[in-house]
Amino acid sequence: MLTINGLYAGYGKVEVLHGISLEVPKGKVVTLIGSNGAGKTTTMRAICGMIKPKSGDVQLNGKNVAGLDSHRIARAGLAHSPEGRRVFSTMSVRDNLTLGAFPRFTGARPKGDIKADLEKSLELFPRLKERQDQLAGTLSGGEQQMLAMARALMMNPDVILLDEPSMGLAPILVEEVFRIILRLKAEGITMLLVEQFAAAALNVADYGYVMENGRISLHGAADKLKNDPAVNEAYLGGANKH
Amino acid sequence: MDIFLQLTFSGIALGMIYAVIAFGYQLTFATSGTLNFGQGEALMLGALVGLSLAGNVMGGPYINYWLMIPLVMLFGALHGVVVERIGVQPSVKTKNEFGWIMSTIALAIIFKNVAENIWGKDDITFPSPVSTAPFEIFGARVQIMQVIVVVGALAIMLAVEMFNRKSIYGKAVVATANDSDAAGLMGINTAQVVTFSYALSSATAAFAGVLVAPLTLTGSTMGTALGLKAFAVAIIGGLTSGVGAIVGGLILGIAETLTGYYISTGYKEVPGLLLLLLVLAIKPSGLFGKTTIKKV
Ligand SMILES: Nc1ncnc2c1ncn2[C@@H]1O[C@H](COP(=O)(O)OP(=O)(O)O)[C@@H](O)[C@H]1O
Ligand SMILES: [Mg+2]
Repeated sequence: MLTINGLYAGYGKVEVLHGISLEVPKGKVVTLIGSNGAGKTTTMRAICGMIKPKSGDVQLNGKNVAGLDSHRIARAGLAHSPEGRRVFSTMSVRDNLTLGAFPRFTGARPKGDIKADLEKSLELFPRLKERQDQLAGTLSGGEQQMLAMARALMMNPDVILLDEPSMGLAPILVEEVFRIILRLKAEGITMLLVEQFAAAALNVADYGYVMENGRISLHGAADKLKNDPAVNEAYLGGANKH
Repeated sequence: MDIFLQLTFSGIALGMIYAVIAFGYQLTFATSGTLNFGQGEALMLGALVGLSLAGNVMGGPYINYWLMIPLVMLFGALHGVVVERIGVQPSVKTKNEFGWIMSTIALAIIFKNVAENIWGKDDITFPSPVSTAPFEIFGARVQIMQVIVVVGALAIMLAVEMFNRKSIYGKAVVATANDSDAAGLMGINTAQVVTFSYALSSATAAFAGVLVAPLTLTGSTMGTALGLKAFAVAIIGGLTSGVGAIVGGLILGIAETLTGYYISTGYKEVPGLLLLLLVLAIKPSGLFGKTTIKKV
């Protein structure tokens, strides 16, 4: 589904990613963990076209999309719930969700039933349903996070990138977010998940990659990584909780 | 009293023209953070092209005033695309923060020179599409064309607002104005949105040109002062607020006609520009300008 090969990218002259390779097979949830500043967000930005990779392949459905503009990569089937949420703050929750389906309106992606999908995503995120006519800028941080996820789903993407969906959320909301991720997984949605809660991420994921200083240092099946002493020490706080 | 009311009505008509041009500045500023300093020349070209189609110059009139309006707006849209492609895109692509300022001013001067060569340096009368005989409201004499200017100005701004709110393409424009990177992630071609907003901006200016032309004289020099004063309106009202453009336009327009009559025509522009200086000193985001709220 999504295959990254030898990806180099950075900001200006500073190289942050030094040859990343990873794979997100169809219907699987893959997680990318690593400490702050390891380059997880940069990896996602280079995949979705927010920044242009210096070299390397980004294969989406067998097509190399590396270097394309972000709107082209989106239309090719990649949705991204970015770091910082980036909701359209002067627009209503409903309009934000509608915009998630933009390529479906214009015929760049199969149309399907946009109305039904909008109602479905409001069911999936009841907090958004209550606030559907409110401006996105007036939502709490947690609600904005859910809106960013729901908006990304509205594209009916082939792959969805979630960059720290639990960032800054109250514990009860973090649980809700992970419950939703599990539900999406059960529906067969292909996901690349970046998370600070490495243990929880490895619990929902099929496969995991560990990132250090712009390189993949370790990868393997999620339950293998969970029990790996090094991973345990560095990212799971020593004790194998959750 | 009658004369005061009459001056106020004239001020409102003039102010609504300022408002439409200011609105045009806002359209491109919202999506791209840039604007066309030749907005007044877009208005001037619109008026002169309209004159050539519907006036008795160049062997015309070819069509009547009302049918001419959509054609002039189409011309305005093409003009906007040219300005964006030549004047704005290169400096945005090379991340040259201020290049577009000089390029759009340079283009404005070129357009003015071209207009001088095609239509001459003298002002030409634009035939009025409606009776020029004034009617009376509360003892003040008002021209039908002045009413048309006010209605037309409000209509074009309302139409753009409705497009932005209701249609998916309008929503894409608003999304781009909100957060261009995030809009790209939605599959929105934000570069195209910016080009579109330049087209729309120039089209509204061209529309303002054919609205105001029957009330003033038409010629290659008509746009520069209008464009500059509308820029002041955009700053006074706030570069992000449609309501601000209207209120700012009315303040400037009315202040101008009243000062022109009661004090001296030589000073008619002073009150509005003093207000501009005041706003810049006290509330630089404009009377209606929003300071964006960001949640962490
Ligand atoms: N917009 C940016 N401009 C310059 N450097 C950046 C930018 N964003 C991130 N970086 C740098 O890139 C490195 C990786 O950051 P990031 O990808 O955000 O890490 P992570 O998401 O794993 O915490 C860090 O050293 C960070 O300082
Ligand atoms: Mg990050």
